[in-house]
Amino acid sequence: MNGMVEKLSTLGPEMCLLIGGCICLVTGLDRLGAVRRATVWVAALSLVCAGFLTVDFEAHDHGVFRVGGMAPYIKLIVCGVGLILLMIAAGVPMQLRQTVQAENAKDFEPGDILRGEFFAFFLFSLTGVMLCASADDLVWLFLALELTSLPTYVMVATAREKTMAQESAVKYFFLGAMSAAVFLYGFALIYGATGFTSFDMIRQTAAMQIETHGAITPMLLIGMVLAVIGVCFKIAAVPMHFYAADVYEGASTPVTAFLAFTPKVAGFVALILLLGLVAWFPVDGEFVQLPPVLVALLWIIAVLTMSVGNVLGLLQKSVKRTLAYSSIAHSGYILMGVLVGPGLVGTHGAVGDGIAAVLFYLPAYGLATIASFAVIGCMRRNGEEADSFDDLSGLARRHPWLAWIMMLSVFSLLGIPPFVGFLGKVYLFGSAIQAQYIWLVVIAVVNSAVSAGYYLHILAACFFGDPDKDVQRYPAPGRRLGAGIAAFGCIALGFLGGWIVNATHDANIPGVDKSAAPITLDDSDDQVSATKP
Amino acid sequence: MSELEIAKFIPWVPAVGAALCGLCCTRERFRAWAGPICVASILIAFAMSVGIYSHVVGDGHGGEAGHHIAGPHVVTLYTWMTAGAMTVDMGYFLDSLTMIMLFVVTGIGTLIATYAMGYMKHDPGYPRFFAFVALFIFAMLTLVMADNLILLYLGWEGVGLCSYLLIGYYSKYPVAVVAAKKAFIVNRVGDLGFALGIFLTYYQFGSIDLNVIIPAATQMIEDGYTQTAVLSWIPFLLLIGAVGKSAQIPLYTWLPDAMAGPTPVSALVHAATMVTAGVYMIARLTPVFQLSPYALPTVALVGGVTCLFAATIALNSNDLKGVFAYSTVSQIGYMFLGVGVGSVGGVFHLSTHAFFKALLFLTAGSVMHALAGNLDIRTMGGLRRKMPVTCWLMFCGCLALAGFPFTSGFYSKDLLLGDAMAVGQTWATVAGVLGIITAFVTAFYTFRLWFTVFMGKEKYDIGDAHHTPDNELEKAMIGVAKEEAEHTGHHPHEPHEMPWWPMNVPLLILAVGSLFYGMLVKKITPWIADMLHASTEFAAIHVEHHGADYGGGFDTHQVVEIISGALAVLGVLLAMVLYWLKPGLAGKLTAPIRPVVTLLANKYYVDELYDLLFVKPLRVIAYLSYAIDQFIIHGLVLAFGWVPRLVGMTVRPAQSGKLQGYGIGMACGLALVAFIVFWATA
Repeated sequence: MNGMVEKLSTLGPEMCLLIGGCICLVTGLDRLGAVRRATVWVAALSLVCAGFLTVDFEAHDHGVFRVGGMAPYIKLIVCGVGLILLMIAAGVPMQLRQTVQAENAKDFEPGDILRGEFFAFFLFSLTGVMLCASADDLVWLFLALELTSLPTYVMVATAREKTMAQESAVKYFFLGAMSAAVFLYGFALIYGATGFTSFDMIRQTAAMQIETHGAITPMLLIGMVLAVIGVCFKIAAVPMHFYAADVYEGASTPVTAFLAFTPKVAGFVALILLLGLVAWFPVDGEFVQLPPVLVALLWIIAVLTMSVGNVLGLLQKSVKRTLAYSSIAHSGYILMGVLVGPGLVGTHGAVGDGIAAVLFYLPAYGLATIASFAVIGCMRRNGEEADSFDDLSGLARRHPWLAWIMMLSVFSLLGIPPFVGFLGKVYLFGSAIQAQYIWLVVIAVVNSAVSAGYYLHILAACFFGDPDKDVQRYPAPGRRLGAGIAAFGCIALGFLGGWIVNATHDANIPGVDKSAAPITLDDSDDQVSATKP
Repeated sequence: MSELEIAKFIPWVPAVGAALCGLCCTRERFRAWAGPICVASILIAFAMSVGIYSHVVGDGHGGEAGHHIAGPHVVTLYTWMTAGAMTVDMGYFLDSLTMIMLFVVTGIGTLIATYAMGYMKHDPGYPRFFAFVALFIFAMLTLVMADNLILLYLGWEGVGLCSYLLIGYYSKYPVAVVAAKKAFIVNRVGDLGFALGIFLTYYQFGSIDLNVIIPAATQMIEDGYTQTAVLSWIPFLLLIGAVGKSAQIPLYTWLPDAMAGPTPVSALVHAATMVTAGVYMIARLTPVFQLSPYALPTVALVGGVTCLFAATIALNSNDLKGVFAYSTVSQIGYMFLGVGVGSVGGVFHLSTHAFFKALLFLTAGSVMHALAGNLDIRTMGGLRRKMPVTCWLMFCGCLALAGFPFTSGFYSKDLLLGDAMAVGQTWATVAGVLGIITAFVTAFYTFRLWFTVFMGKEKYDIGDAHHTPDNELEKAMIGVAKEEAEHTGHHPHEPHEMPWWPMNVPLLILAVGSLFYGMLVKKITPWIADMLHASTEFAAIHVEHHGADYGGGFDTHQVVEIISGALAVLGVLLAMVLYWLKPGLAGKLTAPIRPVVTLLANKYYVDELYDLLFVKPLRVIAYLSYAIDQFIIHGLVLAFGWVPRLVGMTVRPAQSGKLQGYGIGMACGLALVAFIVFWATA
């Protein structure tokens, strides 16, 4: 019981978002139009409050704030990027004919207005990611992962009035359920192999197994494999990637931006936590590496994911599908960092620490992807959401700002200096090189080159095409602002990435003892400083 | 926060200025604000430099007792990037040398930008111009304040970029574009060397921070070291960078062409500041250069040869800006000579040169402006009556350039020449003698120009009505010049004086500087002298120059001063006779040496030589490469484009859009993985 209270006391941000979501549900149904319209502000406020609750203002030395472990770092990122996503998604309810009609109707019918639900689900899903980051139990992790995904199924279905959206929501739901089954099976096997659901106990049992048998038992290994494969659905990695393109294309564009970031963060966090159950801790003073089977599995998944994403990205006519494949490919790159694991090489700085590189790359990838989706979301063809390359044609001439934002984000995705994507790739590829995964890096670099094919295609459409009169800009100032902030972030973090690097580098994974890594990274075990300007 | 802390914001003030000027481009009604914003941002940077002066240089009561110079200060804005053990800070290195460069860049920069407000007034790209100028100042300040080589390189590339943008400012004219491209490409050659030099420096010293490298190099020299290949390569690679940026032999050819930019740019970028970056870099890294016994002599000889070489080309140039362009190359040669012999005169000359060369270019701009873009001095004469202020302002500049006794140029040039002669080694003496000969040539060509343009019978051409341009370049240059002149909005029928504000007042300040700054330093107040002296103290193991005693209380310095001062006066007098008093005489005198004159007029055929040696063979290689590219590489690239697509086509059917298909796909994938895992563990 005490443990529960203690645990609850660390969940301030999550509670804040949860309460915010509940208030959204109420205000979204209020009789007064002004209160209904304030819903989005309630959501924004709860995100800001959650952000403030995350930062431990007590914990700073010499004026330098400490971000602390991985959980607070992820929570901060979720709050920050969540705010940008909220700006982009703010206009979604009013895009729906049903909501607009209900708003204008003489007789007020609260059930027809899809505002409260949308923002409440938005916040609930983000709460799920945060809970993932603070998970210390298999059951907890499972529930958190599902809390992340379930609201997104509804968001995909309701945020766009087209059969395509409903169709993709159904696909997304069924396939998501299937993946949940797979990793739940994995969790069950892990439980069966160790007898515990708590991470600490599982880790101790695994350590004991390694100590006595030299390796973890096959049952635990199979459980891990199934769990990893199941979680691959969240990050849209091969072989669980099939849904991504269809769902991203079908969903309303702001929701697509949400999908491209939120479940992925949850997935990667879960992956890091799960792999930390069987490796990255000391046994007999020796640092345990991932079992070879998992190494091979992650290696193959990473290679297949980036390759499949990039080659299919080349063939698309829809920009949203292209970006969906780009996001698949990026999962492949990020998996390299997961594969490398924490702190294999002791040079201070992120190069060499795969997990730090992953944590750095998540917001880097998120900002660029969100900005690019938001730009597409700003355009309309005859009232329908823009989607094809033709719809972007001549964007630079008609809306130069949007075109420049697109260029920044695409360059960042492509990894061109000085944008943050470049730094991120340097850290990812660098850590893989340090860990001797030379071929993996070669494949990743070739893939980056291939990806230029479709990224530049997007830019060519924006800058060299002829404008089409049927394509108009949708009046959603928040969306443009959000896109602008995200794109600005791509540049700013490219220059000011230093403190994030420190934060990621110092972000300890709960239970993973970096001090036992071959060469220690940082001596302090609990909270480590991250410089904050 | 100590007051030194404001130093880290100095470069960022012009950066903000550049951003604001950029915003001014977007709206018609903000256009006129760009100039004042740009000037104000540079002026604020200047004021901040003055503010930190006493904190950097010490209390200034050094006097004879020794230089009260506090050690170099480093202030860090933030950590720019971390890669492994290497950390690159946005850090700024502050010592006397930095302060001198700060004063030169921001002080002269403010004056030139003020002048440009008047000069560019009617140009359609007015805000764009000032955005580039402010950006240039940002890059230049980053260059001179950088506390590590990577940041220095950032500034180095930044000024190169701005220079490219500003040379190509009149992008309507192909010549401006070609000149911009030439400048950029020639600088690339230099930058390649510089970059390799930086890599090797990191390799050798394990750091790129100036306050690690320089003390380490100093320590090595004191303790003795074994000469290694790396140590001898580093200075020469760095030198290639300096030679490219500062337009020395053999990479000087871009600078004369760079005059295709607007004249204030020629004054700011291609005379006063950017081109001296090479000198700054050598002065800054002198201990590193001393690690190779041949490096500094090479610097000095390159400088000596360049200064005479470029001066002789200037002798026979008939292009108003061309003469000053070659004289810039020549004067930077002096600076190289100065830093090469370890004299403070190099940096001193850098600062005096900034005054008088900026003045000369700007007055040349005024003349050009008045004559609707005519640049050919053969068509000018007696302009002193039409533009008296410009005439006498340029006179001040010419005196300083000629090294006429007791002007700024005289003191700085003779300090470095005296030091060169006092070293007592053959290479230094050779370089010094070249410099002394150049003093005469310089005085002659400078006043040849001045007497031709302003004295004698009054004549002028508006535009290029009667003059047939000698070559394509000149033709297009004149087009560019006309473009500049047309900004006034009217076609003048006769030359007119420039307005006092904003154009002539800055020139007046520059003129006062050209005449008296040197005297101020040498004879009146010690504080600049201290700063100058200290500027090389940290960088170099100072070479003490006593020189031989020539009896009668004369030492080497005084003898050199007297000789070169006399040569300067002689040069001026000769020019007066040949180009004012007896105008026909010059032609008769040069008749017997016709071939030499032709050689000079064609600038020693160096452009042609480079064309033959590099451009033509490269063209041939290019054609060959094109063929290879077409038939082999192109196929490969196509494969690169097609293979992924083909692979994509083969996996595409999996993306059928059917839920069942996807479910089966996922299940099969899982099954495959499970199978492999079983197979692997079994």
